[in-house]
Amino acid sequence: MKPRFEAIAWRAMRYSGILLIPLAWFHVYLQDVIVGVHAIDINYVAVRLANTGWVVYNFLLLAFAFAHGMYGLRQVSFDFVRSERGRRNVSILLLVLWLVISLIGAIALIGGARPELITH
Amino acid sequence: MASSASPLKTTATGYATYQGREGHYAFLLHRLTGLGVLLFLIIHILDTSTVYFYPELYEHAIALYRSTPFMLGEIGLVFAVIYHGVNGLRIAVTDLWMPKRWAIQTQRNAVRITLAISVLLWAPAALWMTYNMLLHNHGINLLPFIGTH
Ligand code: HEM
Ligand code: HEM
Repeated sequence: MKPRFEAIAWRAMRYSGILLIPLAWFHVYLQDVIVGVHAIDINYVAVRLANTGWVVYNFLLLAFAFAHGMYGLRQVSFDFVRSERGRRNVSILLLVLWLVISLIGAIALIGGARPELITH
Repeated sequence: MASSASPLKTTATGYATYQGREGHYAFLLHRLTGLGVLLFLIIHILDTSTVYFYPELYEHAIALYRSTPFMLGEIGLVFAVIYHGVNGLRIAVTDLWMPKRWAIQTQRNAVRITLAISVLLWAPAALWMTYNMLLHNHGINLLPFIGTH
């Protein structure tokens, strides 16, 4: 991989990390501590995803947290995979995984929750 | 160590045997918490996506998150997100704006402070989540004067 890419990624890891402190912390405190899993159901999510502000918020969280985490996983894997070829394969695998899962997450955020489809 | 040692073995034994003390433990914990949160995040993105793709499945996913073993895991997850964040901030700020502070003695203290801040931020959340877990899953109300909600 080009050194320039690695240098930009090194900075991006640090800046995205700083951004994730408000983004991820607020999300986790809100959902897991204040609201709590016993108060979360599909209706709760439907109301939140009907609000553009929260959709944008979740979108930023999805983009930054997941890219940061997957690039971090690439770094960790490079400590174990040393050959040029192996690193290329790992990079491609992680890139594809990242794209596919991000796409699934993004579609769900835009599509919103659909409790009306539950039949029972 | 033989020069032909596999990177896997070198890295794995390096994790266990490198004698950097505080800085080394901070690095290991940062790595462990980062990977742990990432694993959770992958599952979380996929289960949240069921609200659009398979709404019937979402209830099952949430039911799992409400079980006692998962709630214990969530208390750990909150610690991981907090510690990784506080320690990541220490790394980012030192790297970007004050690289001179990467001296081992300075960092030994910084690592201890990082851990203390993390525990302080985590403790109230952990207590509140434990209260909720006992209340909803075991019918134990540790704060009867607050009333149930
Ligand atoms: C809460 C705010 C966060 C901050 C301030 C932060 C900061 C950082 C920094 C500065 C690094 C680079 C460490 C280095 O190169 O030595 C890093 C690595 C990493 N982060 Fe984060 N991060 C945050 C959130 C997250 C989240 C939410 C995830 C998971 C999705 C994550 C997963 C990782 C992983 C897997 C690594 C690679 C670990 C390694 O190389 O040992 N981080 N983080
Ligand atoms: C156990 C603790 C957590 C709970 C209970 C929780 C709850 C939720 C809920 C209910 C949603 C649905 C959307 C909404 O209501 O706004 C959501 C979405 C999301 N959460 Fe969490 N969350 C937790 C932890 C985390 C963590 C640690 C991260 C990342 C660092 C994270 C990242 C996201 C992302 C990216 C989405 C959007 C998913 C998508 O694209 O469909 N969450 N979360």
